[in-house]
Amino acid sequence: MADARSMTPAPAAAATAPAAGPSLLRGITLLTVAAVIVLPLVLPSTTLAAEILIFAMAALACNLLLGYTGLLSFGQGIFFGGGAYVASLLMIHLGAGLFTALVGAMVFGAAVAAVVGALAIRRTGIYFVMLTLAFSQMAYFVAYTLSDWTGGDNGLLDVPRPPVAIAGATLVDLSDPAVYYAFVAVLFVAVFVAARRIIHSPFGSTLVAIRENEGRAAALGYDTRQFKILAFSLSGAITGLAGALYAMLLNFAPLSNIELVMSEHILIMTIIGGTGSLFGSILGAAGIVLLGDLLSAVWPRWMMLLGIVLIGVVIFMRGGLWGGVESLYDTIRARRAHRRTAP
Amino acid sequence: MLRRTFLKSGIAAGALLAAPALVGRARAADGITLYGVKSMSGGFASYGKFAEMGSQMAVKDYGDLLGAPVSYTTIDTEGNAGKAVRKVQEAIQQNGAKFFNGCTLSSSALAVGKEVNQAGGVFVTPAGADELTGSECNGGTFRWSVPTYGAINETVRPLIAEMPNAKRWYTITPQYVFGEALLENAKAIFAEKGIEHVGNSYHSLQEQEFSGYLTNAMAQSPDVLLLLNFGGQSSNALRQAVNFGLKNQMTILLAWSAGLDQFKELGPDVIEGVYLGAQYWHQVDTPMNRELVEKVRAAHGMNPSYPLAADYIGTKIILDAIKAAGTTDGAAVRKALAGMTYEGPTGTETVRAADHQVIKDYYLLKGKAASAMKDEDDLAGIVSSGRSFPEGDQIVCKMA
Repeated sequence: MADARSMTPAPAAAATAPAAGPSLLRGITLLTVAAVIVLPLVLPSTTLAAEILIFAMAALACNLLLGYTGLLSFGQGIFFGGGAYVASLLMIHLGAGLFTALVGAMVFGAAVAAVVGALAIRRTGIYFVMLTLAFSQMAYFVAYTLSDWTGGDNGLLDVPRPPVAIAGATLVDLSDPAVYYAFVAVLFVAVFVAARRIIHSPFGSTLVAIRENEGRAAALGYDTRQFKILAFSLSGAITGLAGALYAMLLNFAPLSNIELVMSEHILIMTIIGGTGSLFGSILGAAGIVLLGDLLSAVWPRWMMLLGIVLIGVVIFMRGGLWGGVESLYDTIRARRAHRRTAP
Repeated sequence: MLRRTFLKSGIAAGALLAAPALVGRARAADGITLYGVKSMSGGFASYGKFAEMGSQMAVKDYGDLLGAPVSYTTIDTEGNAGKAVRKVQEAIQQNGAKFFNGCTLSSSALAVGKEVNQAGGVFVTPAGADELTGSECNGGTFRWSVPTYGAINETVRPLIAEMPNAKRWYTITPQYVFGEALLENAKAIFAEKGIEHVGNSYHSLQEQEFSGYLTNAMAQSPDVLLLLNFGGQSSNALRQAVNFGLKNQMTILLAWSAGLDQFKELGPDVIEGVYLGAQYWHQVDTPMNRELVEKVRAAHGMNPSYPLAADYIGTKIILDAIKAAGTTDGAAVRKALAGMTYEGPTGTETVRAADHQVIKDYYLLKGKAASAMKDEDDLAGIVSSGRSFPEGDQIVCKMA
């Protein structure tokens, strides 16, 4: 027999219902638009704001895997660094334009992620994680060895930032940092809306079902392997795009983009922001980038504080920073409802 | 509980968002500002700490410049080239920054040099990559440290002269651009001097365990083992070589050491009898170095190390160039710096106009026994010093 809890929606579930509603351009999307407008106004520079959005994009892509599919991947750096290299090489050697370079990075990210995903998901749990780690190490050494192409340890220099152009006619020059931020912001919002659409589609629901109970999802007839590979590809494409934007921001693609530590960085942003929350990706990326900027000037071993923050979030705020925001929202709604119904 | 959670999240997020804006505004200052690009946190923080001391001392010693005090702002690279570039971009855009010194990592230095050059500024670095004054040279980037060509020529050649019967050499090389450059320069000298290069072991940049490479070296019975790695890797390779007893079987030369800090870390037991190449040594007897040693001892109670000396002089020559130009205009300061001759820690040094490479001495040192040390920093003695730089057609740089 079902208990009372399963028959009556919990306040939390009721509160999150609007966010999960069909409108993609309201609620959390509006909050995201507000955030991308506010960021450059409150931060000391637009380049810092652009870096935050780029890493938020990478964290969002990681969230699709970790938060919605339950796959802890240490391979995100492969797609990030790979996207940066592919976009840069397309522009440097083939004279590719902005959109060709970005699409190239996305296609590369999706393709490599499909291969990594297809091989890694043959195992589950710790073995899956170890496989993604191994791929990450492999990718680093490939980039390191192909120094004629990647610049090796010195990094790939002179990465251009082409203008937004159609048929050779320049529409927007991105050399100004504020304009480049606006460009990144538009892409970020587009990716955010697309990710929301995906999450609220039957495909997204199936990913969540796989996360919750893969065996049951398979028993219902879903080819969970295909779904997971597709989730990897989507994540790889978005991460590749983020990597390409980062290379254009810096005019430079350092080897550190593809190091294991980059994968860890993206994962930490995702967890601190809140797994299973797209907006949490912005909070996570902003938190980590700003923490580094502020604390590194004060204390050389500031990374220890990052460890403490991560431990604190995992123990006390399982939903990350966004979880804290949601909790208060739920409480306020519940109290208001209580006041209305009180005699 | 939920409210507390929210408040904690809100306060944390608010503080994180607002604080950089406040810090940024607080940084804005009038007069000449010099930016020190240092690894203050992350994997190279121990290097960055001394480099920072050097830059700060140089600015403090300088006093007023063009009638205004010189201020100094640190940019922490966090040991990450991407962060270094982004923060330098930020300083250029927000504060109109023009004058930069530092960068430990070659990757950071190369990318920062490009940014500063594009902004019309001046950047002086002690980083190791030959590309800085070679294939990737530019009008705004100047380098103080001797390139791989000079490091090998000023260590391998004098050692061959000192040990004419040592005809068999074995090399251990990190497999990336820097290591390859050192190896190629060494091979050229071997060919010229009739030295038999009996073998080479490549290792990756992550390697910390060198027993396999050392065993290979022992199997070839060389007269000299030439280590071409640097930093922590060269310390580990040297320590393990001594543990294997190689010091008793062959002469060991570490061509690119980090100087005093590294020697102190290894101790006299390890470096005794080992030949060590160095960009700087605090016992160098030059007027400017004697003065620098005194100042550093007075201020910090220690002898200057390589990063301190490199960033002290790197900062000072930027200020000298501003003074000579009589303006803070980037183009005028570059012009004043290119070709400038000054008294540096290694003697009279010159900034070569053709590639913006500082022409200075490189040192061959020999580790002392503990019993021969006069003080705790008297870890090595100078065997020889000299200047070797690519000349004429060998200069790769094509200054735009």
